[in-house]
Amino acid sequence: MNRLGRGIIAASAVVASGALVLSGCSAGSPEAETGEPGGVTTVTFAASTFGDPGRGPLLLELIDEFNTSQDSIRVAAAAVPYPTFGQTILTQMGSGLGPDLIRFDMPEFASASDAGLIHPLDDLIDAGDYDLLKQPDQFMVHDGVRHGIIFEASNYGMFYNTDLIPEPPTDYDEFVEIAQSLTGGDTFGLAFRQTEAEEAGVWQDIFNYVYGFGGAWSDGKKLTIDSPENLEGLEAYQALYDAEVIPKGADAATFRRMFAEGKVGMELNNGGYVSATKGQAPDLNFSVAPIPFPVRAQGAILAPIVINEASPAKEAAATFIEWVLEPEQQVKLQEILGASSVATATERSAASLEETPFLPVFDELTETSLPHVVLGFEAMTPDIRKVVVKNVIAALQGEQTMQEALDNAQEEASDLVG
Amino acid sequence: MTAVQAPPEARGQGTMAARPRRKRSPLGSRWTPFLFLAPAVVFILVFQAIPLLQQIYMSFTKTTLLNPTRSEWVGLDNYAWIVGDPEFQRTLATTFVYVVICVVGSVGLGLGLAMLLNRAFVGRGFARALITVPWAAPGIAVALIATWMLNAQYGIVNRLLDAIGLGVPGGAILDSPTYALPAILVTTIWQLFPFTSVVLLSALQAVPQELTEAATMDGAGRWWTFRAVTWQVIKPTVGLLALLMTIWSIRRFELIWLMTRGGPVGATETLVIDLYSQAFESQQLGRAAAIGMVGVIISLVVILASRMVARIAERKDAS
Repeated sequence: MNRLGRGIIAASAVVASGALVLSGCSAGSPEAETGEPGGVTTVTFAASTFGDPGRGPLLLELIDEFNTSQDSIRVAAAAVPYPTFGQTILTQMGSGLGPDLIRFDMPEFASASDAGLIHPLDDLIDAGDYDLLKQPDQFMVHDGVRHGIIFEASNYGMFYNTDLIPEPPTDYDEFVEIAQSLTGGDTFGLAFRQTEAEEAGVWQDIFNYVYGFGGAWSDGKKLTIDSPENLEGLEAYQALYDAEVIPKGADAATFRRMFAEGKVGMELNNGGYVSATKGQAPDLNFSVAPIPFPVRAQGAILAPIVINEASPAKEAAATFIEWVLEPEQQVKLQEILGASSVATATERSAASLEETPFLPVFDELTETSLPHVVLGFEAMTPDIRKVVVKNVIAALQGEQTMQEALDNAQEEASDLVG
Repeated sequence: MTAVQAPPEARGQGTMAARPRRKRSPLGSRWTPFLFLAPAVVFILVFQAIPLLQQIYMSFTKTTLLNPTRSEWVGLDNYAWIVGDPEFQRTLATTFVYVVICVVGSVGLGLGLAMLLNRAFVGRGFARALITVPWAAPGIAVALIATWMLNAQYGIVNRLLDAIGLGVPGGAILDSPTYALPAILVTTIWQLFPFTSVVLLSALQAVPQELTEAATMDGAGRWWTFRAVTWQVIKPTVGLLALLMTIWSIRRFELIWLMTRGGPVGATETLVIDLYSQAFESQQLGRAAAIGMVGVIISLVVILASRMVARIAERKDAS
């Protein structure tokens, strides 16, 4: 073999190696995902709830039902675990890839929307055709542009063990009194998240104390982290921590198991957790009441369904959203989601109400529930959350007073938002 | 005169033209080394060199996770932010404390254990096998088990500490800014020291027995025998281990992240935790890249310093 021939072999090896390495980069491109054999457009739909033990299989059945009803569109479910959902999907979307349809949580929805990664729905779906619940739906529209439709809205209520607490507390003093009286041995009156390792969870929990005492993270234009109402709410949170009526150091998974075992009397949680609690402890006697704080305002997990700006199958994706919004599917979705609400007002079935009599409690909280974002600074919520939680935890650990914590958080967060 | 017979190959040269010429394999050409090296070179270029260059560039830009392709050149702003941020200085200090204690603890404990295991005793083989278990356990499993052991309500560590009157107030060790870092350090060293002890055990077994015996016969005590004989043999291995432990400790992520996520109140936030947090929580890729560059520089300094120390030691030994 001459020199030229040998050179060709060497060059081919280099090119082949490079091609092998680089070929992996195009496998996940939108074009690859929506290859259309037989004229069928495949739409990927990513949601963490597909992996839920109770609701996941039922949601997949609903998707199968859609697929059966269609000739040219097929929705493929992609279950991404909740703890890494936002990060995984946002990283994909930032790279111009990712699923066509996404069920987001609010902070990630706000970030993606702000970065222009979500396709506006106004041209694809006429929201006026549907009787959307106004309170949660208002957060789907940014600067007059609709970016999402509510897929699930879970309001926060007070879960309590009816064997331990026959009558739920109706005001804050009673709440504290019951928490204290139940605490003893390995049983605790209350449980909430209080470790930095669960930053997002702590944010959701303290949200109820802030808004339940008349506070707010912002007035829509400037941050109000250090307001007197916020201080009052967070001092109440700290007082419960110091009173040792909670299992300190226990993460949510641990104290929810304790609740299921009857070792925790009360916890503030969202409607989405009703099915999980029933699944975990079918024999547990528990109910739900409004959170007995001075002001009826609490957090809500709002989960919009959105279309990826990079999706090559936007119209097919919109067809699925429209199908889900039909009254018949809304009722089905409502039944699957249990204590959560859906985009439109639906009637709960007699069977559901018989099985879970406290479902209307969640429905009645819809008008006073707010998503866990800083209004006016939605896209900056993850950064503000980090600052606030870090300072509140420092106060719990005695590193500073709650007043100092909120002053520091106000200053640091104001620097961040500019 | 004796006729010198030519070797068979030379003898055959005159008839070369008559025989069919043997084809040389392309694998015997001067391109062969390049051929074999090509996949490795491509791999290093694609997965290390190009990302490193991209990271250097990114550290001078404002790039967000949500719009990684739309970056804005900001010069030294990210580095200025790092230098001016008191929390980053605390992160560096925590990283330094974590690395130093990890290295000293794992190598020191590993050496002690290796010396014990180097002695003859009943069940030595079993003990040597047993000691590797923490190293063999996956990091995630170790972190989760340690978190459970340190749990304020059910953790065995709290119960033991309470029993001997040393209980942490409230019991939440991992939530205490004072005790979280020591708890992570103990867990890290527990996982690392089997590795160092196995490596050092193999080094100890290379110590010539006759030298140790000669030193003993010359009246040297245990300490002097160790210093004059054993240490001289195992020194390069200790140096290599210290370097490896340093680099691994600088980049350790999963154990700290799973146990505390850098908290409470930043008490366990090391360089890589800060980098991850900036990149994936605050979505600031430019700042994360600058933090990563600080890590790269620290690692390079450590490697260069260890080489210098090794060279000085070699010269000293030679003289």
